[in-house]
Amino acid sequence: MTTSDPRDPPGAVHRPASEGRTGRLELDPDRVGRDLVCLVLTVVELLRQLMERQALHRCDLGDVSDDQIERIGTTLMLLDERMDELCVQHGLTRDDLNLDLGPLGTLLER
Amino acid sequence: MTQTVRGTGPGPETSPAAASSPAALSATYVYAVCRGCDPEVFAGLPGQAPGAPVRLLRFGALEAVVQDVPAASFGEEALRERLGDRAELERCARAHHAVIAAAAATAATLPLPLATLYLGDGRARAALSADASRFLDALRRIAGRVEWGVKVYAGREVRRGPGTERRNAGTGTPGRVAAPDGPDDKAARGTAARPGHAYLERLRGVRQEREQRQEAGLGAAEAVDRALGGLAVASRRLRSHDTAVTGGRGAQLLNAAYLVAEGRRDEVAEAVGAVRERPECRGVEVELTGPWVPYSFVDGGERDARG
Repeated sequence: MTTSDPRDPPGAVHRPASEGRTGRLELDPDRVGRDLVCLVLTVVELLRQLMERQALHRCDLGDVSDDQIERIGTTLMLLDERMDELCVQHGLTRDDLNLDLGPLGTLLER
Repeated sequence: MTQTVRGTGPGPETSPAAASSPAALSATYVYAVCRGCDPEVFAGLPGQAPGAPVRLLRFGALEAVVQDVPAASFGEEALRERLGDRAELERCARAHHAVIAAAAATAATLPLPLATLYLGDGRARAALSADASRFLDALRRIAGRVEWGVKVYAGREVRRGPGTERRNAGTGTPGRVAAPDGPDDKAARGTAARPGHAYLERLRGVRQEREQRQEAGLGAAEAVDRALGGLAVASRRLRSHDTAVTGGRGAQLLNAAYLVAEGRRDEVAEAVGAVRERPECRGVEVELTGPWVPYSFVDGGERDARG
């Protein structure tokens, strides 16, 4: 149960986390397709960021050789580029790849 | 979006249309409970239903600020539909606030949540009377006090992701060493031949910067909470707004309300100003709003909104 607080500036409202961006499901076929792509890419982006984090961690531990670091870094960089390309292909931006978890914040760090 | 009035008495019906007989075409919308309010102050205020006057409904020593609203547009379904629409919600919230602010200007006023509805005056009076002692307690608590709101936002990322500078480093053209062209390209010069290393370094930089921003924001939130907590008689952490609503700003790290005695405006502003001035709080946004009718302190104030 949420309270709408009239003290808030225009548009700033408390909303239950279960509500989507507009509060209702769009059943337009084009939109559903685009939203699905967005969701899939968001999950891929989450995994990509986790890999990056893990890679930095491993490099910090110092148990990977210089060559391995170079390979890991290059792979991650190419993945990052590939994400940009996929976003352009589907008319999305990197900022679209996120999920709002309400009071928990966003799935991916901003 | 509806909230019930807590208490032992009969609760408010938030779905008058659904629960009522067809004869009940209007519902009683309750804005606030006050003591010694002058009904003249509501003249000309449209409230939630233009056409019907905003009036006072006496119960015991107190009075409720009420208005007759069409039951059809305040039924559960209709309300959910309307309050789900951001523009309509804003209109309702502003109308609600306008009535409460008018009442608060002349009398001790206890604001009730948006869309507190009863099936007619009789039901409203019965339910409110049952809660009279709680209302009296709350009125005593907020008498001579106002609410200040503080929101703290983390600074925004200056550069986006490690990939942003990738093109500068020239790694997009394999086999060629890029010509350094930026101020911080000393590092790039050393690593341009090793794009993998350079990418990881940038990644590390971005992560560190983000952590620093987060830490600075949390530090500011803590500092402002400590400073205002000292001035306030009660404080309350409210639910953070999600980023879709806060728009272009960073994550909201603090959304708190403080119940402060009237006339301490300068001290409040000074406390917030002092936090803003801190060197480590550069980039962190501290927003102060108020003074408000103490919306957040109607039910106590020690409870946390998350609870």
